Amino acid sequence: MADLKLSHIYKVYENGHKAVNDFCIDIQDKEFIVFVGPSGCGKSTTLRMIAGLETITAGDLFIGDTLVNDMEPKDRDIAMVFQNYALYPHMTVYENMAFGLRNRHMPEEEIKERVLEAARILDITDYLPRKPKAMSGGQRQRVALGRAIVRNPKVFLLDEPLSNLDAKLRAAMRTEITKLHKRLQTTFIYVTHDQVEAMTMGTRIVVMKLGYVQQIDTPMTLYNKPYNKFVAGFIGTPQMNFFDVKLNREGDIVNVLLPDGSMLPLPYEKVSKIHDSYIHGEKDVIFGIRPEHISIVEEETGVKAVVTAVERLGNESIIYGDLGTSVGEFTMADQGKAVIIKTVQDVTLEPGTIINLKVNENKVHFFDKETEITLMLEVPEYSSFPLKKEGGKLEMLGGNVPVNPVFEAGLADGEYEAEIPPSAIVPGKQFSLKVQEIEEVSGGRRLAYLSYDNRYLFAFVDESVKKGASYSFDVKFDKIAVLKGGEKVMEPIGEKECLTGSFKRVAVNRNYDFYYGLAGADIAAPAANGYKINAVEGDKCYKKTYKYEFERAKIAIAEEGLPASVEEILDYGAKKYARLAVGAEKILIDADEGELAGEVKLAIAGEDIEVWQMESDFRIC
Amino acid sequence: MIATGQDGTKKKYRSQKGAAITSLVIHYVVLTILALIWVIPILWIILNAFRGDAPNSVSGDFFPKSVGVEAFHLLFTKSYYGVDFAFLRWFANTLIVAVVDCVISTILVLSVAYCMSKLRFKMRKPFMNLTMILGLFPGFMSMIAIYFLLKSIGLSGQTGPNAWLNVVGLCLAYSAGAGMGYQVAKGFFDVIPSALVESAKLDGCSNFKIFWKIMLPLSKPIIIYTALMSFTGPWMDFIFAKVIIGNGAPEMWTVSVGLYNMMFGGQADASLFTEFAAGCVCVGIPIVTLFMFMQKYYVEGVTAGAVKG
Repeated sequence: MADLKLSHIYKVYENGHKAVNDFCIDIQDKEFIVFVGPSGCGKSTTLRMIAGLETITAGDLFIGDTLVNDMEPKDRDIAMVFQNYALYPHMTVYENMAFGLRNRHMPEEEIKERVLEAARILDITDYLPRKPKAMSGGQRQRVALGRAIVRNPKVFLLDEPLSNLDAKLRAAMRTEITKLHKRLQTTFIYVTHDQVEAMTMGTRIVVMKLGYVQQIDTPMTLYNKPYNKFVAGFIGTPQMNFFDVKLNREGDIVNVLLPDGSMLPLPYEKVSKIHDSYIHGEKDVIFGIRPEHISIVEEETGVKAVVTAVERLGNESIIYGDLGTSVGEFTMADQGKAVIIKTVQDVTLEPGTIINLKVNENKVHFFDKETEITLMLEVPEYSSFPLKKEGGKLEMLGGNVPVNPVFEAGLADGEYEAEIPPSAIVPGKQFSLKVQEIEEVSGGRRLAYLSYDNRYLFAFVDESVKKGASYSFDVKFDKIAVLKGGEKVMEPIGEKECLTGSFKRVAVNRNYDFYYGLAGADIAAPAANGYKINAVEGDKCYKKTYKYEFERAKIAIAEEGLPASVEEILDYGAKKYARLAVGAEKILIDADEGELAGEVKLAIAGEDIEVWQMESDFRIC
Repeated sequence: MIATGQDGTKKKYRSQKGAAITSLVIHYVVLTILALIWVIPILWIILNAFRGDAPNSVSGDFFPKSVGVEAFHLLFTKSYYGVDFAFLRWFANTLIVAVVDCVISTILVLSVAYCMSKLRFKMRKPFMNLTMILGLFPGFMSMIAIYFLLKSIGLSGQTGPNAWLNVVGLCLAYSAGAGMGYQVAKGFFDVIPSALVESAKLDGCSNFKIFWKIMLPLSKPIIIYTALMSFTGPWMDFIFAKVIIGNGAPEMWTVSVGLYNMMFGGQADASLFTEFAAGCVCVGIPIVTLFMFMQKYYVEGVTAGAVKG
């Protein structure tokens, strides 16, 4: 029984292929985590890295409080159930289950007790004297589970354990495993490509694709709030309908222009989190709606489809159709109009029938056509509003403030667009807007919808702010982006800085000291990181250049350290930064306190530096 | 054969049955001729071993006029090259060499095969390529080198009381390079799912324990195949034995060297032909017996790895 922590785990093969990219997850004790994704997405590789059957290229893996990266599989206190059961064919069921315990030199009495207990739980007591070949697939899978149970491990790893079973048995074993998890009260990590298994068994699901984690969430959040089109399509059967559409706002209505030319009107309130630039009919958008969220109605809705096929499953029917009122020539190719509807009604539709479709407005999804990321993030990245600079004043959000020196220098008088993230809004008195709505979002935060110009500015607010009241706030101008004609003329300032440099090793008393060689000075690296870089990269690490990343807040001015020269001070009014030249590179540091000028020395602790391998772009430590 | 089509046209077809019979007849005739060519020399040797009519010369007759076991009696009791019960001694020498080689080679071959199949290490692929290329060269190319190497350390060309060292040298020559012939066994191990090895690792096994407790019990056919091959190699080999043991000490010869010398050596005598034939039959008996009992495993071993299953 233990927590598990995977921190920036990478698997890069010798040929440079990245099988797993920056996998981070904190798994709580007793959780049932499911890794799901199509073949080759890296889910099994990740599981095998946890088991110790694959080496971890970079990153840290903790089981409990112990770093287990280099620990032998047998010492990790984990048990694994394999897809093909991996029972020893020459041993009886009893011997199979006892084998691991005997290797640990456990007294025979205790072994017997544990095996019999596990056999009783799994109802395989009668099969103990049999050899695996004399058993059915389901029974073998139970033995495989039994072999894991007797070990009483901290973590159970299951690698597609049900894929070799037939559909009926699979459904039965699914429930059995869920029950087993409840009974054993241990952490389970389960790998599958079957989304039904993932949805029914997992407390949390990790959806993966091509080595990248797409989303980590509870089954219902994945279903209701998929982060991107891939997750939306992967979770749910039949899969979500996707259409290439354009959105056009007219007053309080946003019209969805469907591929057949018809319009689906949606209330603006339902899609208000979509960024303003998407709802003026200019950008391509993917509209997603699940088959179960479309219903067939008698009345005219403006959206019609022609039925092409009907599958009656008894308890429900799945209707396949094409949007519009005409059916083109039959082709397997996707015309972009195919629609699937799932209904529990007993339908008597025949192919060729024209039906009226009604969409559940609360269940619509929209994705960017290029990035395929949802346009309805729980917390929108930013909202865009006009910004006008004139006569030493900045006019925005119905108020005006004096221009800060950075904007004064960087922007000519004129009209611009400002991208304002929720984090840039802080309580203050520069601006005041009405709170239209307050939503509880993940992390226990409260997201306020501040109404201006018929759309919303989003801000995090505390308990004191009430719906309907007006909220006074300041804007952190260093955190907003300013655009002119779609081009960014002012970038927001992030939280991190980076420099490139070498990596050095110095032998001291039969040991080594490691250094990050930045321009003009060496920063002592923690020994653990030094050995890790060497382990990941080999001895060529001393000839390579690395990217060193650190939080700006961790940089301090000191007597000794990295030599830098102050190039300019960026004064945003409420916040000041100094732009420094460090060798040929530039970084920003906080400059709120004291006057900074000329040559300075910077102190950065080695512990605060993240090291990135530049060729394959992965974080080593 | 004439068949009528749907449109009434008549077409001529070859009878399928007739064609099959013709083809079978041709096949059987060719196969029978090949079998006769292959079997006749063996049959001739066996018939000569049991010849009762003219036991002291090479007979021109294919079939003996009378049958007897006199040749066997002489073979087991007579002295050849001044050595009493020479054939039995040669037989024992051969058996020792074959058994020692069988044990050492089997262990080496299976160990190498396991490493190549289930372990992953840096030089694995280059090593496998190298062994394959080396395996393409005929073994006797290295014979002279092996002879001189063994001679330099006193394991070849010995006479007198140290002649037994020649046999040790022979054992060494046969088994030392055995690991190179790991490919068939590797093919067999490849088919055993890696999940078993991984499962055993999680169960706390070392590599040796996995090999010993998991792989070997599952590999009976390939163990038997490897053992049979390593036994029959030295049992039937003449050329290496002849070079390494030499002619110096007749009591340390192997069967093949002894039988060769009976017919072509210094005291060669055509009158020993029936005894020679009886010796050949005796050499064949253990091999035939072994193969008959192990046939099932042998076939499984030979075809192992051919089809993934």
